[in-house]
Amino acid sequence: MLTMILSNLRRRPTRTFFTAAGIAVGVATIVALLSFTQGLRKTAAGIAHLGGSELSVFQANVSDPTASVLPQSILTALRSKPYVASATPLLLMVEAIKPEPGAVVFGADPNGFFTRRLVLVSGENRQAAGATGNAGATGGAGASGTAGAATNGILVGEKLAAHMRLSPGSPLVVHGRTFRVEGVYHSGIFYEDAGAVLPLPVAQALAGRPGEQTSIAIDLAPTVRASTATKAIERELPGTQVISTTDQALRAGANSTLISKAILVIVVIALIIGAIGVTNTMALAIIERQSELGLLSTVGWSPLRVASLILGEGVAVSVLGAAFGLLLGVLGADLLVKALGVSSYISPSFTAWALGRGLLVGVAIGVLGGIYPAWRVTRMQPLKALAGT
Amino acid sequence: MSDSGAEVVVEHVHKRFGQVTALQDVSLRVASGEVVGIAGRSGSGKSTLLALIGGLEAPDSGDVLIDGEPIWRRRHTAHVRREIVGFVFQRHLLLESLSALANVEVPLLGAGVRRAERRRRALSLLREVGLEHRADHLPSQLSGGERQRVAVARAITNEPRLLLADEPTGALDSGTSERVLDLLFGLRDRLGMTMIVVSYDTAVGARADRTVTLIDGQIVEEGAPAPPGPGGRSGIEGQSGIEGQPGPQGRSELRGRA
Ligand SMILES: Nc1ncnc2c1ncn2[C@@H]1O[C@H](COP(=O)(O)OP(=O)(O)O)[C@@H](O)[C@H]1O
Ligand SMILES: [Mg+2]
Repeated sequence: MLTMILSNLRRRPTRTFFTAAGIAVGVATIVALLSFTQGLRKTAAGIAHLGGSELSVFQANVSDPTASVLPQSILTALRSKPYVASATPLLLMVEAIKPEPGAVVFGADPNGFFTRRLVLVSGENRQAAGATGNAGATGGAGASGTAGAATNGILVGEKLAAHMRLSPGSPLVVHGRTFRVEGVYHSGIFYEDAGAVLPLPVAQALAGRPGEQTSIAIDLAPTVRASTATKAIERELPGTQVISTTDQALRAGANSTLISKAILVIVVIALIIGAIGVTNTMALAIIERQSELGLLSTVGWSPLRVASLILGEGVAVSVLGAAFGLLLGVLGADLLVKALGVSSYISPSFTAWALGRGLLVGVAIGVLGGIYPAWRVTRMQPLKALAGT
Repeated sequence: MSDSGAEVVVEHVHKRFGQVTALQDVSLRVASGEVVGIAGRSGSGKSTLLALIGGLEAPDSGDVLIDGEPIWRRRHTAHVRREIVGFVFQRHLLLESLSALANVEVPLLGAGVRRAERRRRALSLLREVGLEHRADHLPSQLSGGERQRVAVARAITNEPRLLLADEPTGALDSGTSERVLDLLFGLRDRLGMTMIVVSYDTAVGARADRTVTLIDGQIVEEGAPAPPGPGGRSGIEGQSGIEGQPGPQGRSELRGRA
C-alpha cells in the first residue's frame, strides 16, 4: 500500500511538489510564529528580572511597562521594607534610538545594582559609581549620580552593538542628543542586551521626566519568597503592580498578548489554507484517476481500502511538506525577524514542542484535507468511471 | 471441473440512469461452467448488465444471485469481486506507474495477501499468460496485446468462479484478438469457471455455448429476430472480427452467429 501511495505521488512530481510546498510554507509559518511566541515569552520574562533582580515594581494598570510612572516616594518606601535587600530605580525609554525603535534605553541609578552588574565585553563602565574604568568592580557607595548628568557616555548591549555596528568610541544619537559609546555589555536579559544604559539623571533630563522612574528593580532579602513579597508590596503600596513571573510579564505587556493572539489566528489560517490545498489537489486527483480508482473497486478493493489509499496519499504529501516546513521555519524565523525589523523585540526560540506541533499540524492538514476526497471516492460509481473509453 | 464455475441468476432487473432506461426487465440464467456471449448494438445495455452481475452497479429493482446468494445483501459488494468474480474490460486499465507484476498484485493487495505470497502468485499468473519475461516492464513498454494479457492475469488472481469480460478484444487488431481469446477460452477450459463475454467479435459467438442479444435494454434470445431499430439501420450484419471496434454506422449491430 505504501509502495502504491509513493508511486502515485512520484507519478505527478510537479503536483506533489507544489502541494507539499504549499504545506511546507504553511508549516514553516506556524513553526516560525510559534518560535516567536516562545521567544516573546522569554523576552517578556526578562522585564521581570531587569538587572538580574528577583522582581520589578511597575505602576498598576498601564497598557505597557514603558508607560508606567512611579514617584520617588515609592522608592523610599520600598527601601524601608524589611524584605527588600536593595531597590534600584529604572527609567525605560522606547523609540529613543531612531534606527532601532524597539531598543529600550534604560536610565539606571549609577549606584544601583543594575548598572554595577553589567558585564563589559569591551570598553569600560564609567557610569558605575566611583568609575575606575574597571567593569563592575566598583561596589562603593559613591556620591549621588548627578555627576553623570554632565557626561556624554553611554553603554550599549551587545545585541544592539552588533545590529548597529557600534564599538567603544562610536557616536549614538538618543532622543536627538549624540552620545559616545563607552562600553559594550552583556547581561543575558534580552531587553538589556538589545538596548542601552544611561545614568538615570541623564535619561530623566532627556525624557523630560525629572525625578520620575518607570519601575523599580528589587533584590529580596535572603529567604523571602517572590510570591510573598509580591503580595506584600501590592497591598502596602496601592497603585503598584509587581512583575515576577513570565505570565505576569505577558499580562503587563498588552502588546505581546495581542501579538500572541494574532499569531494564533495566523496559525489557524495557515492550517485551513493548507487543508484546502490538499483537498483541492486530492479532489482533482480522484477526478483524473476515476478509472484507476474504479478499477481498484472492480478487483475487489473495499471502499474503505480505496479511501485509505487517497487519505494515505494526502497524509504522505503533508508529512513531506511538513518536514520541509520545519526546516524552512527554523531557517526562516531568523530571516523573518530581520526582514520585519522586529529583532529588538523578539528572538525566536525553538522548543521540541514547537517543532512537534508543526509536524502535528502537517499531519492534521493531510488528514483534514484528505477526508473529503476519500469520502467522495467511496461514493464514486465504478461503472461510470470505467466507461470513459 | 465445471462444478467450480459459479451459477448466475438475473431476475427481472431494471436499471435507469436518469431518463435513460439501460435495462428493462432483464432475466438471465447462466449455468455453472457455461460460456455465454452477449451481443447487441452500442448502448443496448450490455456493459450495464455485466456491471450489475459483478455488483459494480445496484439494480433499481430485481435481483442478481450468484450460487443462489443475492449479491446486494451486504452494504457493498467488494467481497463478491474479491472472492468470486474477475473482470476484463476493453481498456486494459493497468496502473501506468506500476510494473506488469505489480499490476497483477493489485487485487491481492486489496485482499490483504502478504508481500512475498503476492509476488509468488503474480509471477505464476504472468507465466500463465506467457509474460513472465515482461514482469518488470511498465504498461507503456508493452504492446496492446501484452497489456490485455496482463489484464487477464490480473482478473484471475482470485481464481474467480465467474469471469466477466466486456469487449475484451475491442481495442485489439484481429491477430492479437485471436491470441487473447485463445487465452481466455484456454483458461476457461482449464479452470472451469463460468464466463460471460460481451463482444462484437463473431469468434466469441462461435466459441460460446450460447449467445443472448440485448436490444434497447431487453434480452432477445439467440435466433430471435431483431425488431427494426430507429432510422432503419438495424439488421446490418457485421463482416467478421477484422476490427474489434464497430464503426459509427452500419456495423453497430452484430448477432453472435458465426
Ligand atoms: N453511469 C451512467 N450514467 C448515465 N447513463 C449511463 C451510465 N451507464 C450507462 N448509461 C447509459 O445506459 C445505456 C446502456 O449503456 P451500456 O450498458 O454502456 O451499453 P453498451 O455496453 O451495450 O454499449 C446507454 O444509453 C448509456 O448511455
Ligand atoms: Mg459497453
